[in-house]
Amino acid sequence: MLGSVVAGLTSGGVYALLGLSIVLTYRLAAVVNFAMAVIGAMGAFVMASLTDAGLNVWPALIVGAVSGGLLSAVLGAGLVRWFGAHALRTKAAVTVAVYVALMALGLRLFGSVTTGARRFPQPFDAPAFVVGDVVVPQAALVSLALAVLITVGVTLLLGRTMFGLRLQAISERPATAEVVGIPAPRLALAVWTGIGALTTLVIVLVAPRLGGDFSTLGNLVTTALAVAMIGAFHSLWLTLAGGLLLGCLEGAAASLEAVQAYRGVLPFLVMLALLWWRSRHEVWDTATAAR
Amino acid sequence: MAEQILDVRDISVARGDVPIVYDVTLGVQPEAVTVLLGANGAGKTTLLDGIAGLAKTTSGTIGLAGQAIAGLPTYRRAHAGLGYAEQARTVFRSLTVEQNLLVARTGNGDLGTAYRLFPELERRRALGAGHLSGGEQQMLVLARALLGEPKVLLIDEMSLGLAPVVVRRLMSAVRELTSLGIAVLLVEQFAHLALEIGSRAYVLRKGRVVFEGPCADLAGDDDLLKQYYFGTAEDPAEHDDTAEKVAAEGEAR
Repeated sequence: MLGSVVAGLTSGGVYALLGLSIVLTYRLAAVVNFAMAVIGAMGAFVMASLTDAGLNVWPALIVGAVSGGLLSAVLGAGLVRWFGAHALRTKAAVTVAVYVALMALGLRLFGSVTTGARRFPQPFDAPAFVVGDVVVPQAALVSLALAVLITVGVTLLLGRTMFGLRLQAISERPATAEVVGIPAPRLALAVWTGIGALTTLVIVLVAPRLGGDFSTLGNLVTTALAVAMIGAFHSLWLTLAGGLLLGCLEGAAASLEAVQAYRGVLPFLVMLALLWWRSRHEVWDTATAAR
Repeated sequence: MAEQILDVRDISVARGDVPIVYDVTLGVQPEAVTVLLGANGAGKTTLLDGIAGLAKTTSGTIGLAGQAIAGLPTYRRAHAGLGYAEQARTVFRSLTVEQNLLVARTGNGDLGTAYRLFPELERRRALGAGHLSGGEQQMLVLARALLGEPKVLLIDEMSLGLAPVVVRRLMSAVRELTSLGIAVLLVEQFAHLALEIGSRAYVLRKGRVVFEGPCADLAGDDDLLKQYYFGTAEDPAEHDDTAEKVAAEGEAR
């Protein structure tokens, strides 16, 4: 069991990174981005296609990350241009539509679960250490280190730099931020581009372990949303912890024969539990309840 | 007419596709307070939003110190020297008082000037802006606008929901702005207070300018003001209230 939990950390770092991408998009661009993972998958498959064509892995990775960043920037620009003043739920609905469209396009371009699994390069596949009978690969440490690095880095960026303060201002009051001279659309685009590129890197990191098919990778948004909910879409540290927790839970579930076939529902169970927990003090509107 | 640092000509402004402000021409003189009055829903906030670039202008020109700014995005109008203190105390609540000021600072924007004008803010510089009182938040909005080194400052309903003593304090600060070389276009519900510190006044009714002249012509004459605010039964605009309703929604946001 302990070994399985440690093995779950391999996924935990990646889940944390995906959750951080969701939280950052929400905090800095005021959008719950359902299309985030599928955009990352698009970038990752651009990279895989280039390596399949014989390109060296590092330039392919750069092109893939740039592709994911640009795709994300296009979505961000559309949201800023046409939906900037709309409610959060409207913008979320737009990203759902983009998710559906990109999923269909990706499956068409890169194939389905059975036909489209790609061989992603595994530069960090060597074992890092062994716990019991579980070999923990370097990829687990890389994703963990990256998650901690991004959490610390973004926390410092937002709190200690003018760029970060201006991003906070934009996320809170985009119109007012422009009124005081902050080029909100330009900074928002930078955020969308950066998060798109980051998500691509994360998907590339996790792809070999999940089978490398477009559908599975694009649907990682479910896990990312569950992790973001643990961080209440705000706290970067709670999101980091949430990702690791979910990874460990998944590892533990994998070791129990009775539940291992159902471990895919874990993100949904986490969401349900959080929704129940956070709404436990809510009071029903008495006028409505009395009817 | 005297030299104008903000020169708005024949401007029409819409909210979405609904026209709210029609062919308004107004001018703001340097180092003076120009007052813009009107009943709720007259289109005052929509007009200011149009000048600042937050609402769509469908016709007309806007000149700021000789530079045409109507085609510029909002943040570039700010860089050109147009400050805007929106209504509803739009501080960045997640930032401290000082951070609110710093994010708006351009060029030689000076924290010292802002703190001299509003010493209350210096004492609370490390406090989250969301924890300030309503009056302090309004001071912060004005101080923040100063950090952008505006040539013209648009101020919208800064007295909304504030105690009279705080409103008087803010009015005296607005008067001081002119001594710093800033021209002010002031929208204010307390007309008599605004007219006290203003030199020139405009009255807007149903999106159109119905009065333009010295503040002294309106000061102390409530009946005249009421007449300009609400018009007469013969006024054709009385029968078209669609624009007024939409403008009221815009002003309530």
